Amino acid sequence: MAERGAGDRGGFGRGFGRGRGDRGRGDRGRGGRRGGGQRDEEEKWVPVTKLGRLVKEGKITSLEQIYLHSLPVKEHQIVDTLLGNRLKDEVMKIMPVQKQTRAGQRTRFKAFVVVGDSDGHVGLGVKCAKEVATAIRGAIILAKLSVVPVRRGYWGNKIGKPHTVPCKVTGKCGSVTVRLVPAPRGAGIVAARVPKKVLQFAGIEDVYTSSRGSTKTLGNFVKVSFSLIINFYIFIEIRVIVDFAFCILHLIHFVSLQATFDCLMKTYGFLTPDLWLDTRFSRSPFQEYTDLLAKPTKAILIENTERIEA
Amino acid sequence: MDSDTNDVLPLQELSLDEAITEVELEESYEEDEEDELEEYVTLGTIEKPKHPKFLLRHLFPSKTGGTPAWLDPVELPTGKFSRCDFCEEPLQFLLQIYAPIPEKESTFHRMLYVFICPSMSCLLQDQHEQWKRREEDPRRSIKVFRCQLPRLNAFYSSEPPRKDGNDKPLSVGAALCSWCGTWKGEKVCSGCKQARYCCEKHQAMHWKSGHKNRCHHIIHNLESISSSLPGEKLSRDKVACSSLWPEYEIAIEDECAYDAEASEDASYEASSLVTQHVTDDTYQFLLDKFEADDNKRSWASFQERISKCPSQVLRYSRDLMANPLWPLSIGRPTMTNIPKCKYCNGSLCYEFQIMPQILYYLGVKNDSDSLDWGTIVIYTCLASCEASARYKEEFIWVQLYPTTPIS
Repeated sequence: MAERGAGDRGGFGRGFGRGRGDRGRGDRGRGGRRGGGQRDEEEKWVPVTKLGRLVKEGKITSLEQIYLHSLPVKEHQIVDTLLGNRLKDEVMKIMPVQKQTRAGQRTRFKAFVVVGDSDGHVGLGVKCAKEVATAIRGAIILAKLSVVPVRRGYWGNKIGKPHTVPCKVTGKCGSVTVRLVPAPRGAGIVAARVPKKVLQFAGIEDVYTSSRGSTKTLGNFVKVSFSLIINFYIFIEIRVIVDFAFCILHLIHFVSLQATFDCLMKTYGFLTPDLWLDTRFSRSPFQEYTDLLAKPTKAILIENTERIEA
Repeated sequence: MDSDTNDVLPLQELSLDEAITEVELEESYEEDEEDELEEYVTLGTIEKPKHPKFLLRHLFPSKTGGTPAWLDPVELPTGKFSRCDFCEEPLQFLLQIYAPIPEKESTFHRMLYVFICPSMSCLLQDQHEQWKRREEDPRRSIKVFRCQLPRLNAFYSSEPPRKDGNDKPLSVGAALCSWCGTWKGEKVCSGCKQARYCCEKHQAMHWKSGHKNRCHHIIHNLESISSSLPGEKLSRDKVACSSLWPEYEIAIEDECAYDAEASEDASYEASSLVTQHVTDDTYQFLLDKFEADDNKRSWASFQERISKCPSQVLRYSRDLMANPLWPLSIGRPTMTNIPKCKYCNGSLCYEFQIMPQILYYLGVKNDSDSLDWGTIVIYTCLASCEASARYKEEFIWVQLYPTTPIS
């Protein structure tokens, strides 16, 4: 509607014209208002999926509701909104990968990032890009999308907060097997440097570990731990949540990181006696709000129509 | 560019600063990230209109929600065109854009209208239908119409509107339904003879929600309606139906205006890279689990592209080389799925697509039966043909999010 039509249109608006003719005049008009890429990070998030809209409205308050119904999380802002500033991220490794081309080698960087709060949620993301910062940013987003819950338990008396893994759990990735064994309070994390960092972030205070296989292959090590934790969580008992912040900074043995992640993923998949009770199924967030909104509204439209007829 | 395979090329050693790093060769050729063919895309974003009267039809607006501003106010689509083919309810107005083609005379004014049935179950049925071959006439619950006029026409002056509040179209259009304000009001209320309706359902709803009381008054008091002649009401009074979507204007912006970003600082020290030993298939497992499959990759690039301007609701690019931005890799049409133009039998080309952000702005609810889509893509006749029908139906393709989660 602004007067920026081409000469032959006089004052008529350009509308959504063909792009080709206007390629030269790219950033005029209202685009200029935003400035040259003044994309502030706090720019309002406009949700693209239904789950995103529900989260933005505030109808969903915790990640556990999403886990309960196995809803796929497609927007990382959902995790941001729900976990907020508790979520920390750390780059585990930047690895250059090369591709042979006629003109030499093309190097790109692969970033491995782990995010988590220290209260039972961890995620792992991998991204390859031409520049390191792009790779890191992309990996952080992917990590947020893959956040899983982790379960903690007790070694003996159920006094105080859960502090160790609920049971002996083992995870395997490639040749690396990692075994987490519950430990009494005060034992601390008895583990190699790599899984120790992982478990510290997970909030597991005491655990014995035993790893086997070529733990130098870092990916395996991590994967095993992650799968262990995931196994604990297949049944819906969110009482014990292992801190799962996998933020390993100096990740020398990257494959063992995979093994540890695998371990931690299994924590909620392990059936223990306290999970024997039948689950009471609840309604998915999409269903829940249908009933709320399907309340019949009376025909209070009478007042509206008064104004219309005039 | 050749793609590498696992067994062909050995690992290479590369020395960087102090650390000796074994660098991994890529095993799979990833999606080409050098998509340097930057298509020229125009974005549409939502804006509150300065005044509702700026959205009247003689000002050729691009808008969403509310009621449509018909370009040709007389010969509106009726009957089957205005209904959802599944539930027989009249369709609800989603948006319209003003997209003239300056090269041809007959398309000096050109508007595209999109109508959709607000029921999700109809949209799911529509999904099946859109995959049908073009010989059969598919039933749709979402429809797009194109209307074009030359500069000299019977409805609007050839001079551009002055936008000072005094502009008027040259003639009065047909009367619209008093309930929805969208479709032509062909049926008249037998009581007061003033209210018009496009279908019986709307008449019933209007009656229940207040016309019952007013009808009586109108007959006896002959209360002044804005125009005593049967014709459209030019002032933007609110129509009776309250379930229409809120009205907004669509502002036009260029995508490349958002492109200028601070270049990344690749200052990350290469020396912090550490030794990496032989990788194995466990590494691949990690990649599979956390990196991508086709769908995730499409989704990732979709998110990246829209993050330049998160509030976009529409992407316009009428170019033969242009491709729509698909959020998912499943559910995309192939060449055989896109039919020929109904009227001139010429080929269709992609014109614009509607993004899911618009659902957020329109305040669509989030229950199980409310609308939700991945993207809606509109294909129009390449030649923008003239035909006897004033409002020509074009082809529309909907990509929905899958209902079962893809792991």
